Amino acid sequence: MSPLTFALKTSPAQRIDCSSLTPDLLVGKSVSEIALLELVTGNSTARVDSLFDISGENTADIKFANSTDKLDFIGRNMTTGNITVAGNVGAYLGLFLEGGQIEVTGNTGIYTACEMKSGLIKINGNAGEFVGGARSGYKNGMTGGTVIITGDTGARAGDHMRRGMILIEGNAGDYCAARMISGTIAVLGNVGTHLGYGMKRGTVLLNKAPKQGIPANFNDCGPHTLAFLPLLFNSFAKLDSQFAKTKSFSRVQRYAGDLGGIGMGEILVKI
Amino acid sequence: MIINGVTIDATFAEAFPMKGTRLIITALNAKWAMISAQAFTGFATSVIACGCEAGIERELDESETPDGRPGVSILIFAMGGKSLAKQVETRAGQCVLTSPTSSLFSGLDNPEKEIALGQNLRYFGDGFQISKMIDGKRYWRIPVMDGEFLTQEKTGVHDSVGGGNFLVLAESQEQALTACEAAIVEMRKIANVIMPFPGGVVRSGSKVGSKFKALNASTNDAFCPTLKGQTKSDLSPEIESVMEIVIDGLTKEDIDKAMRVGIQAVCDLGAENGIRRISAGNYGGKLGPFHFHLQEIMA
Repeated sequence: MSPLTFALKTSPAQRIDCSSLTPDLLVGKSVSEIALLELVTGNSTARVDSLFDISGENTADIKFANSTDKLDFIGRNMTTGNITVAGNVGAYLGLFLEGGQIEVTGNTGIYTACEMKSGLIKINGNAGEFVGGARSGYKNGMTGGTVIITGDTGARAGDHMRRGMILIEGNAGDYCAARMISGTIAVLGNVGTHLGYGMKRGTVLLNKAPKQGIPANFNDCGPHTLAFLPLLFNSFAKLDSQFAKTKSFSRVQRYAGDLGGIGMGEILVKI
Repeated sequence: MIINGVTIDATFAEAFPMKGTRLIITALNAKWAMISAQAFTGFATSVIACGCEAGIERELDESETPDGRPGVSILIFAMGGKSLAKQVETRAGQCVLTSPTSSLFSGLDNPEKEIALGQNLRYFGDGFQISKMIDGKRYWRIPVMDGEFLTQEKTGVHDSVGGGNFLVLAESQEQALTACEAAIVEMRKIANVIMPFPGGVVRSGSKVGSKFKALNASTNDAFCPTLKGQTKSDLSPEIESVMEIVIDGLTKEDIDKAMRVGIQAVCDLGAENGIRRISAGNYGGKLGPFHFHLQEIMA
């Protein structure tokens, strides 16, 4: 069976809520039934077939073609299957994701992997602000799963993150790991300012020291060989990521913070 | 049945159900992994008084361990899941957590039945402990004076078999011991089994019950050579020494294999080296439901 493909007909003037186009919600539906579904766009609704050319029939394997940053909520609440997006996507990609995989060839908007619970999201491009974060006013960001970003992230990656792993192959923006509760963020490139601001627990693993230095609200705990790092790198091996190719290391400089709070978080810098 | 002049008795070894798990201890080098493993498996010969039976399964090289360091694989068995959990936790806390450079991992996955491994040891970290979920498994990083003690949170429990055994009847102590040593060398090559007694060999095999009310096991007088004229002996005049090898395993089939290679190694020495009979601890069905018929195993 060929993938169920939604090819955007024209660049939409308004944002489109794609949350109903997931394997979970489309299973058992014929293409003609799917065509009749109504999507919220702007302040009205529009039929799927008025927005997309639809082809293929495998609802467990969905593709979005000609995608733009107007497509929001792709993969919302998804628990199984695959979604592949060719092009940029808008906000809330993988919101509440519970399983399955989403891969984007392009950039994503704000709140990628917001409050994600499990599964895998891979962004072959840059991600916007609040990757793996919590919705505004909510206290827990992602609670499981893995997010891979081959490019850079905007500010506040891992904001309020509680569990899971964010792997940033490029650079992380300002306030990375701010208010982080737990989990792991690893960055191969540079990180912005205010790293780990308000961080409670969790681990930020850096391939190199930040250009601007470690924030003042983290204390140096010295160089160490940490036994869990080889296990972490082993877990990267099965991923389609630069992290799988990164040579494992267990020797790191450990910084604890944010000491303005409970100070149980850590920044580990390769040495 | 006679193999190389050694009589294989038409009897069976009687074994009982246990709960078991496999643990992997790693360390900076093989020497310290072994020291920790030996401490963990110390005083664990028999559930009668030790609360568990444990032993070293084999050494592991760097490619076989979760953290890429040298390690040792351990099997530990107890009569039930709760007693196993208690033994694992106390031994891990006193013998592995304390051992320099060590890490402790589960070597047996069974999501349906798990017991705590580092789940409660983490409190030793006094709030500084760190949890890490890696590949769906939770690990605890506990700060200790030599760095960090890494331990997996849980380990799987397997329905196992304890008390598989055979007796080596020889013309002298030296000959019995030599034969048992040869058997142990071969049996240690079999996966999923341990021989929990000192060096794998027991010289004080027991029978069920005692004339003393406080004891539920006592010396197996029928196989004690010094009592040949004093009790209902199972020994012929030329037998001067009997030694037993006890085997615990994750499955009955594993014990079958171990008994086969062990008995074969003894028989290879043969009558010319003073080995006269192979028998087994048969308690008339009072001890357990698993029966290892010697002649079937060697057929």
